[in-house]
Amino acid sequence: MTFQRILTLSTIAGALAASPLMAQDHTQHAAGAAAATAGRPVKITDPSSVVLIVNRDSNDIGFMDIATHKMVGSVFLGNNVNPHMAMMSHDGRYVVTGGTRANKAYIIDVPTLTLVKEIPVGFAPEHLAFTPDGRYYYQGNPDDDSISVIDMVSMTEIKRIPGLNEPLNITFTPDGSKAYIGNYGAHWVGVVDVTRHELLKRIEIGQMSGVAKLDPERYLGEIKGVSNASMSNDGRYLYAADGDLNIVGVIDTRDDRVIKTIRVGKDPWRAYMSHDGKYAITVNNGDETISVIDTSKNEVVATLEGGPSMTGVNYAAGKAFVVSATSGFVYVYDMATLKPTGRIKIGVNLQLETATTDTADAKLYLASSTDHAIYVIDAASERFEKVTGVGLYPWGTHIMDSKDNYCH
Amino acid sequence: MTPFPFPAGRPALLRAAIAATLCCTAGTLHAQARQPAPAAPTTASQREQELQNRVEQLERRIGDLESSTVLSEPETSVKRVEVYVDENGVQYTEPGPGRTPQVTYQRERVFRRQTINEKLEEALDDAASRSVGVGVDAAIILQNVQQDTGPDAPADGNTYELASADIFFTAGLAQNTIFYADIVGLSGTPPDNEVGGLTLLNGYTARLVNQNELNLRESWVRTELANQRVGLTLGRVDLTNYFDHNAVANDETTQFLSDALVNNPMLGLSENGAGLAAVYDPKNGFSAKFGYQQSSSTAQNLSDSLFYLGEVSKLFTPFNLGEGTYRVWFRTDNSSGDDQSAYGVSLDQKLTAALTLFARYGQAENAGLDDDEFYSVGLQLKNGVVINPEDAWGVGFANTELGGGDAEDLLEGYYNLRLTQKMQLSFHLTHVTEKPLGVEEVSYLVPGVRFQASF
Repeated sequence: MTFQRILTLSTIAGALAASPLMAQDHTQHAAGAAAATAGRPVKITDPSSVVLIVNRDSNDIGFMDIATHKMVGSVFLGNNVNPHMAMMSHDGRYVVTGGTRANKAYIIDVPTLTLVKEIPVGFAPEHLAFTPDGRYYYQGNPDDDSISVIDMVSMTEIKRIPGLNEPLNITFTPDGSKAYIGNYGAHWVGVVDVTRHELLKRIEIGQMSGVAKLDPERYLGEIKGVSNASMSNDGRYLYAADGDLNIVGVIDTRDDRVIKTIRVGKDPWRAYMSHDGKYAITVNNGDETISVIDTSKNEVVATLEGGPSMTGVNYAAGKAFVVSATSGFVYVYDMATLKPTGRIKIGVNLQLETATTDTADAKLYLASSTDHAIYVIDAASERFEKVTGVGLYPWGTHIMDSKDNYCH
Repeated sequence: MTPFPFPAGRPALLRAAIAATLCCTAGTLHAQARQPAPAAPTTASQREQELQNRVEQLERRIGDLESSTVLSEPETSVKRVEVYVDENGVQYTEPGPGRTPQVTYQRERVFRRQTINEKLEEALDDAASRSVGVGVDAAIILQNVQQDTGPDAPADGNTYELASADIFFTAGLAQNTIFYADIVGLSGTPPDNEVGGLTLLNGYTARLVNQNELNLRESWVRTELANQRVGLTLGRVDLTNYFDHNAVANDETTQFLSDALVNNPMLGLSENGAGLAAVYDPKNGFSAKFGYQQSSSTAQNLSDSLFYLGEVSKLFTPFNLGEGTYRVWFRTDNSSGDDQSAYGVSLDQKLTAALTLFARYGQAENAGLDDDEFYSVGLQLKNGVVINPEDAWGVGFANTELGGGDAEDLLEGYYNLRLTQKMQLSFHLTHVTEKPLGVEEVSYLVPGVRFQASF
């Protein structure tokens, strides 16, 4: 953590009312946040020292110390809130989450672990993302086919962007000018002008073949479209997998067009970018494989056996770790040879959810919902430690600045 | 009711007002809200603040009421808990001196609000997991035989049609343990009876026991042990599903139709029967298999016509190519009275995302004669060089030479058109040359169509 960040946090905790941010007239949140946190003890001084744990059934966000694996605390959001995903602001001051069953967004003050704001949003808020400058946070409302734009200064919903189809994940360009929205209820990626918070265009990832249209039961019954557009390391290309079309569309963000479609396995959930940017891996739950895409050639260079119900990919220690939700295994692949190296048995009768990787690329923090635990996996040795008492039904984890912060 | 956490610093008066509000029932909320606070506020701003707080509390209360409707009742589930118990039977959540770890179960209530759809899906999934799954795989194969060379043969100019239907049953018996049964019925005439080649021109013919009858093709129980690294299958099995596998030349329902491009004849298994297959798969690209199977419907005991098979396979990515799987197998059997052995290899190597090559080789002992030999090579193309995205096409060549002198060359090309998820139509063109010892060779051109539906 930088000195600047420590300074900022101590300032917030010690003298909220005196901070320059608080002094602005338009910062309605300042009064509310200050009132809510005034006098409360500082529990977290370094936001990068904790893992966020999204607990769906205990309706809270847990904070676990990375060094000790002890719980620092948790913030209860309310009965039946059922949070889905949490994310820390870039400066580490706030954590935001969407309460899927409460139709609200929640803002938590990190230093004091205080819920400072509840904001009504659209139906069933799930995935979310901050703009690169941290000013806004986009909250996807899949059942409302909209994105709620939350202003982090006023802590209000300043706009709701309509016209989407089951929007799931949100990806911002590095310069923050555009956001790309994965629409799971359609086969296109939405492009949002972040300056005006307006849907600019829809990029069709691919077209169904004529013969495939004979299969209305599949294509009209339940759409498995685009869940996410994953950004290449240079910020130029997006890799958007489409579940029904079994393809990954490569979008050039300069002119927002699909420059290539790559055929992968069946029912790809999304593409996960390796930390060095060389590869993108899709988990294909239709045929229980993974497809490894070489991003320099935009070609599939390996199709390897995976497991059932794969929910995510984490990269660490030169390996890819693929979470198989229902089998109780994490599948491991060597990213140098692009071959499987085995699998880690986490347990039986488990429902594994998603994991985040620490910033050292050394450990994974895997949420396991049915046994209410977090499994800390050492990437090099592939040994793991079970941490209990983290909350009920942990659905996901998040570490500030991690390259593997994702949800499902 | 969940206790309301009083914010620090709020006046006692306000806390009392909040407590009073929260104690109200829904029916009296409005009345309570209109009542004056226990002590009158002294200034207008304080009154305004109190009203604001009251509104907030009412909104919170409405949220609580909404969340406790029928659909939002707390769920009750049973949780497996690891605890630590000392000598007095006192439970702790953390380990400590004198505490022994124990596993127990406890009921818990959670606030998981679900919609009607989620409730229904959950119930349906639960019901499905307890029921017997049924699947159908049906196919109709039309083939025409045109004699190319050789003396007049009865098959010349004839058309053949074979209809096949497999009915599968699966059921989960226990953790990682399933039961599977496959009942097959066939009707029609394949060309193989009149062509009389060394291998079958229609791979479905191998399933044909008696026409218009249902036959039990497979019936087994499979369980997985040792962290699911070892799979054991026991019952009436088809060991060709486990040995001599090939990614692109192994399935007569979607790939080549000719049996020589589906199996390796040197494996020698002609009928399914009682047996066992053990597979060790650590999921690192390597696997080892062992199995035995009886391959005679007239056997009197398990020692008759018994085949033992072993195989090792490894996934490679040689020369920076795509992944390829290389398998080596060995078998021994007593079907001819004496023990005879055979060995073979089967490999498939992906060269590009679209192109996969395959090859097989096998050699088998033949009592009193030279060894039988077989090889096949070919390729499969998909992804980008097809009409529909999930289509595939392939070309393969197979050569069989028996120790007795008979030989066969077979060349087949096919295009598999994926109509829907459940229907496929494929077109086949096969050229086969039979070279019986001491007799003039005869060759045929066999165009065919296969319609397949699985659901």
